[in-house]
Amino acid sequence: MCLAVLASLLFTRCSKDKEEVDTVYPEIDLSVAGAFPRQCSSIQRGQAFTFKARFSDNAELGSYSLDVHHNFDHHSHSTEVEECDLEAKKTPVQPFLFIKDYAITAGLQEYVATVEISVPADADPGDYHFMVRLTDKEGWQTMKGLSIKITD
Amino acid sequence: MAQSVRLAGRVLDHTQAPARGATVAVYPAAKTAVTDTAGYFSFADLPRGRQQITVTFTGHHQAMLEVNLRKHLNKVADITLIPFTRVLGEVVVSDNYAGRNRRESSLQIEAVNSDYIRRNLGGSLMQSLERLPGVKTIGIGSGNSKPLIRGLGFNQVVVVDNGIKHEGQQWGADHGLEIDQFAVNRLEIIKGPASFVYGSDAIAGAIDIKPAPPPSQDTLGGAFDLAGRSNNNQYGGSLQLYGRKGAFFFDTRLTHTAYGDYRVPADTVYVYSYAVGLNNRYVRNTAGREWNLHASAGWMGSRMQSVFYLSRVYNKTGFFANAHGLEPRRVDAALHDRSNRDMLMPNQEVTHHKIINRSVFRPGRHRLETELGFQRNFRQEWNQYVNHGYMPPVYPGHMQVPSTLERQYDKRVYSLNIQDEITLGRHALTFGANGEYQRNRIDGWSFLIPSFDQVTAGAFVYDKLRLNDALFLHGAARYDYGRIDMKEYTDWFSSDIVSNGDTVRQYLQRAGNLTRMFNSVNWSAGVNFTPGAFTLKANIGSSFRMPIAKELGANGVNYHYFRYEKGDPGLSPERSYQLDLGLGWTATGWSVELSPFFNYFPNYIYLNPTSQHDYYYGAGNQVFHYAQSRVMRYGGEAQVRYRFLEHWSAEILGEYLYNEQLSGEKKGYTLPFTPPPSLLLNVSYHPVFRKTLHESYVSLDYRLTAKQDNIVPPERKTPGYRVLNFSAGSRVRLKRHDLTIHLLVQNVLNTRYLRHTSFYRLIQLPEPGRNIILSVKIPFSVSING
Repeated sequence: MCLAVLASLLFTRCSKDKEEVDTVYPEIDLSVAGAFPRQCSSIQRGQAFTFKARFSDNAELGSYSLDVHHNFDHHSHSTEVEECDLEAKKTPVQPFLFIKDYAITAGLQEYVATVEISVPADADPGDYHFMVRLTDKEGWQTMKGLSIKITD
Repeated sequence: MAQSVRLAGRVLDHTQAPARGATVAVYPAAKTAVTDTAGYFSFADLPRGRQQITVTFTGHHQAMLEVNLRKHLNKVADITLIPFTRVLGEVVVSDNYAGRNRRESSLQIEAVNSDYIRRNLGGSLMQSLERLPGVKTIGIGSGNSKPLIRGLGFNQVVVVDNGIKHEGQQWGADHGLEIDQFAVNRLEIIKGPASFVYGSDAIAGAIDIKPAPPPSQDTLGGAFDLAGRSNNNQYGGSLQLYGRKGAFFFDTRLTHTAYGDYRVPADTVYVYSYAVGLNNRYVRNTAGREWNLHASAGWMGSRMQSVFYLSRVYNKTGFFANAHGLEPRRVDAALHDRSNRDMLMPNQEVTHHKIINRSVFRPGRHRLETELGFQRNFRQEWNQYVNHGYMPPVYPGHMQVPSTLERQYDKRVYSLNIQDEITLGRHALTFGANGEYQRNRIDGWSFLIPSFDQVTAGAFVYDKLRLNDALFLHGAARYDYGRIDMKEYTDWFSSDIVSNGDTVRQYLQRAGNLTRMFNSVNWSAGVNFTPGAFTLKANIGSSFRMPIAKELGANGVNYHYFRYEKGDPGLSPERSYQLDLGLGWTATGWSVELSPFFNYFPNYIYLNPTSQHDYYYGAGNQVFHYAQSRVMRYGGEAQVRYRFLEHWSAEILGEYLYNEQLSGEKKGYTLPFTPPPSLLLNVSYHPVFRKTLHESYVSLDYRLTAKQDNIVPPERKTPGYRVLNFSAGSRVRLKRHDLTIHLLVQNVLNTRYLRHTSFYRLIQLPEPGRNIILSVKIPFSVSING
């Protein structure tokens, strides 16, 4: 009896709640037409390529950032299930490094991002990570780590 | 012959009232007596020499103490019994302080002794205390954990060891509390704000590890503790040696424990979406070692007592190799899986040294207590160099820092406490002052918090007014001062910065020299009313916490979380107001305790995940910014105990917590690490075997934990779970000593579940599977001719 009273006392306080807060993570969709790069994509050095992905959120998108760094030491994994063939481990000489953050216009629930990135002709070819980080306005972040290759 | 001697004493219950009708047995003399209405007992015809007194009283734990009958008339100090409902574990006969403190304090206090810890032996001290309602842990792996009291932890909970505030790296979730659980004799957990006694940081509560009582007169003995755990193939032992001759005594302890990788009920775990296969369900590279050394020596005079405590606690543990920090990592599985007991990189090593002197003087009506302490916490985190952001791809050869030293924190702390207790009529007054100086230095190739020096000082007065035996009033006020000096830090590598359209390489300054000073006045008022079966406690008070170096000065990428953490040098001290109630009711076989609380912070310090990314200082990571918001919290614990048959008892422990941010960018959200509501159902059987086995028990704990959907970025919703634990134990009477055995089976059904407050929750790593823990304590003694 006593327990029932107690339980009702404790557990009902939380149900008469305030308005719902957003607990949904934003999504990075790499399956839209022309999305690039995808897991195991190749990019030729000395040329430019266009990053393209579709971002969506239930409420409002925040911002995103792109990060391309070498994985010559096989230090970490992509977040994707599919494995790509890795080259032998090697010591970097002049690896390609690209880090940049981008704002998304306020109020959007959906956004197709396109960014042109050029890879210098003298960048080390080999295994790279392509990281996409996306937030929504509330600060929920979704990350995608793709394994890609830069080729001659 | 004048061989026979007399023995007399008094037995009190937990309210300090006489326990009438208690049975007092003396062994090996094999005599019994029953206490009179005033609680007194006496024996007229006992042989000289050593005897063991056992006191049995309905609804209370059996009390045992050893006496050496040497005089014609021997008097023992009052024996205070501990009820089944009050203090957990076995009785503390040597000192009735714990029981009295709990009864006469208006704060919510849980008292625990070494027997309780051995019964619930977890991988670390806090894990052994997790059964207590309102107490949770934030942990990583099987051997490291930190306290979480009513959902608050880190720098919001103070740990006091032998009177001195324990200073480690409280702010991080990926390391533990540097305390040897075998060395803990008894401790108190204060649930609620306790700044007026413990100063800054005790805003959510305190864990006060009390000094062990000195050995009894003219003894030389010890105890050997052995413990094993099946889940991580842990073995451990602790050898204690103590002795006392007259007023001089010593007490030493050596503890060693070693464990392998722990096992989870899963073959594959998903770090983000990447599947990591586990070899035979072992969490790769989570093995660890611990070596602890304690030595104390002192003088126990009637008017003066002084004790020195020395300790060194060393711990080395591996981190889950597939996810150092929270990043999915490629590992050499063959190398890691060759042995489950090796600790490869990444791993951490912590050494904590302590020297404390605690002295008590009793001039006249005063009780003067001083504590002087020095401690050094040295923590290193080892990992292969992996460049992140703009760090060079190859670790430069000219660097002085080893390429495998990811982080290093070196903290030296000097502490001083002075306290005077005076009894003036109905008033018990306590005056006290504390001071602490900290010197913190950092090293390693990754940066998170700057080096800093810190001075804090405080003074307080506390009055306990006894109106009558059943009614106490409490009032306290405290003033604190703090100053922090943070040191400048500049990156050892350059970053690409776009300035007027040109990209330049620049060494970024992460932290500048910064000095902040803080003041705070806090107060507390309470009442205790214990007229009989019913008890009422109420307390209202304020508490505070100085912002820490990380909150003021962080400015870098936390590669463990892949986030850019930015401090705010303008933060004001965190303040909290809390109302605590304690309602209790005890009747034959029954006890009920309710402890609801309401808590309000006008300026809670919180690491707020923003929608921004920063490539400049943050190397492209999401920006987490320290901010302050108004926070409301309420909740409570319920404890019901019922002895439904002579040898059977049941227990229900429940806890509930609600947190809400009332302002700021995360208005409407909860606070991170909010434990979900949970209920623990227990049934225990206490069989009685004559002569050989004592205090036997067989017990089942069924913990029902609700889901936690109330989350804040970057948390994940955690589903509810049900876990069954089994325990059994007994005290086996040997010739002169009692050997105690405890068996504990955690997660009997090998249930796969996630714990909301685990560091590895974010990478979906389940909690350990079935774990069989066996511990044995074997006391021994070497007699001294008295």
